Amino acid sequence: MDIALQLLFTGIGIGAVYALVALGFVLIFRATNVVNFAQGEFSMVAAFLMVVCAVDLELPYWLSFLIALGGMALLGMIFNLGVYYPLRHRSFLPVIISTIGASIFLANATLALYGPQPQVLPGWFETPGIQVGPVYLDSQYLLIIAVTIVLVAFQYWFFEHTLIGKKLQATSQDKEMASLLGIPVARMIMITFIYSALIGGIAGILVAPVLFVSIQMGSSIALKAFAATIIGGFGDVAGAIIGGLALGIIETFGAAYISVPYKDGFAFLVLVLFLIFRPQGIFGERVAEKA
Amino acid sequence: MTLLAIKDLIVRYGEIEAVHGLTLDVDEGQVVTLLGSNGAGKSTTLRAISGLIAPAAGDILFDGKSIAAHSPEAVVRMGISHVPEGRRVFPGLSVRENIMLGASNRSGGAGVLGREADEMFELFPDIRPFRDALGWTLSGGQQQMVAVARGLMAKPRLLLLDEPSLGLAPVIVQAVFRIISEIRRRGTTVLLVEQNARMGLSVADYGYVLESGRLALGGKPDELWGNEAIRAAYLGGGQAAARV
Ligand SMILES: Nc1ncnc2c1ncn2[C@@H]1O[C@H](COP(=O)(O)OP(=O)(O)OP(=O)(O)O)[C@@H](O)[C@H]1O
Ligand SMILES: [Mg+2]
Repeated sequence: MDIALQLLFTGIGIGAVYALVALGFVLIFRATNVVNFAQGEFSMVAAFLMVVCAVDLELPYWLSFLIALGGMALLGMIFNLGVYYPLRHRSFLPVIISTIGASIFLANATLALYGPQPQVLPGWFETPGIQVGPVYLDSQYLLIIAVTIVLVAFQYWFFEHTLIGKKLQATSQDKEMASLLGIPVARMIMITFIYSALIGGIAGILVAPVLFVSIQMGSSIALKAFAATIIGGFGDVAGAIIGGLALGIIETFGAAYISVPYKDGFAFLVLVLFLIFRPQGIFGERVAEKA
Repeated sequence: MTLLAIKDLIVRYGEIEAVHGLTLDVDEGQVVTLLGSNGAGKSTTLRAISGLIAPAAGDILFDGKSIAAHSPEAVVRMGISHVPEGRRVFPGLSVRENIMLGASNRSGGAGVLGREADEMFELFPDIRPFRDALGWTLSGGQQQMVAVARGLMAKPRLLLLDEPSLGLAPVIVQAVFRIISEIRRRGTTVLLVEQNARMGLSVADYGYVLESGRLALGGKPDELWGNEAIRAAYLGGGQAAARV
């Protein structure tokens, strides 16, 4: 029982990272109808920015974090202008290929600049964690969970309770109609890309101390997050969060009770089961109704 | 005074030319109806006015200034609001939110726009009970009301309405046309596209008939009705009459 609680905590922590990256997928998908295959690289680039600032340059952690976020906002902007915008009137296929190209470019540019050696990023806190009854709460996982809760709450408020959030929703539902109303569609999509790069980046920065910072970390997180969005029902915000958490918990328990080497296998087993038995995902019907 | 002047407008979709040299005027304060059968180029003309498609040639003057090839966002900021074919209510937003977003061409915070949206329900009492319902849950008639209310939130000088009666039950069509008359009474100029000739002309000060992307004729509603040949060819067709 104690072990189960401990695993549940870890699973939620890692699942929260998947949920954040999945949110990035969902937001861009809803705004542009395209899956951004470079979403995972946003996390990887942000983690490397942290390594450069906090480890190599020895800047304070909070300053490194702000610089990394600034870098991610810039990357989101450039990504929109360079990868999506020139192809916005084309079908989804050229745009998807363009995001795959961007993902390969980002991974290899980082490799060229930094080399293949995995890096270590320390956690935000000096104290490694606290013992609460039978469960040891690792401080980095606590931070991940807290930040995810804050971000999800912020995103809910932003999209549901602000005028600009409503304009973003309108843009994702019908771009032509939005432009007829005078909503600056290009600016709305720009905001979406910047926001997605930021939450992807935050996810990468948060998970980096738990994993190694490597060129491959982006694609492995993105694969899990992508599975999470399918499990949740593609395009559904609540589904992405629940899918991400579910996946984190399943793989943590699977690794503990069944097999560590097959840890990643469990996530994809769940994905395959969903694709066979419930391809629309947990919240699939709601998406279908909206369409 | 002429509010909108279209001069020798040519619009193409790739190779296909949908409008071949259209010239027409809309006077301020009037309801002008553009009639024509399926594929005549009515929607294409409205799309060219609102900036959704750039004209291949010709000019569109609004209040004397050329707006040809302006972006939709720029056109609606100048005071032309387009309620497109098919209503296009945002399915995942509530009725009130849909209506509020109609004011996106001008400044104003959520509080002010929310109050203006609430005032809009006085003109559209039928949709007031659904103010918090999501767009996709509405009936066709309710969606049409939301679409027109949203279009009016822009406080336009010129309102473009594309087939507001399409697919609606006769009672609802009557309600929609009562609203169009009321919009005119309040001083907004309307360019109305219709296939339903009888209803379309009933509220109009002037009418044009478009045929295969060309202007076939124009005149006052009673002149158009008075002309026997015209009535048979364009207005009195069994289909149009049956839809009244
Ligand atoms: N996106 C498009 N691509 C290619 N051709 C188009 C497109 N939209 C319209 N057309 C063509 O342009 C012509 C005019 O179409 P338009 O939609 O303006 O007609 P309409 O008068 O509005 O007809 P309806 O009463 O059916 O709405 C038609 O021949 C149509 O097939
Ligand atoms: Mg049409």
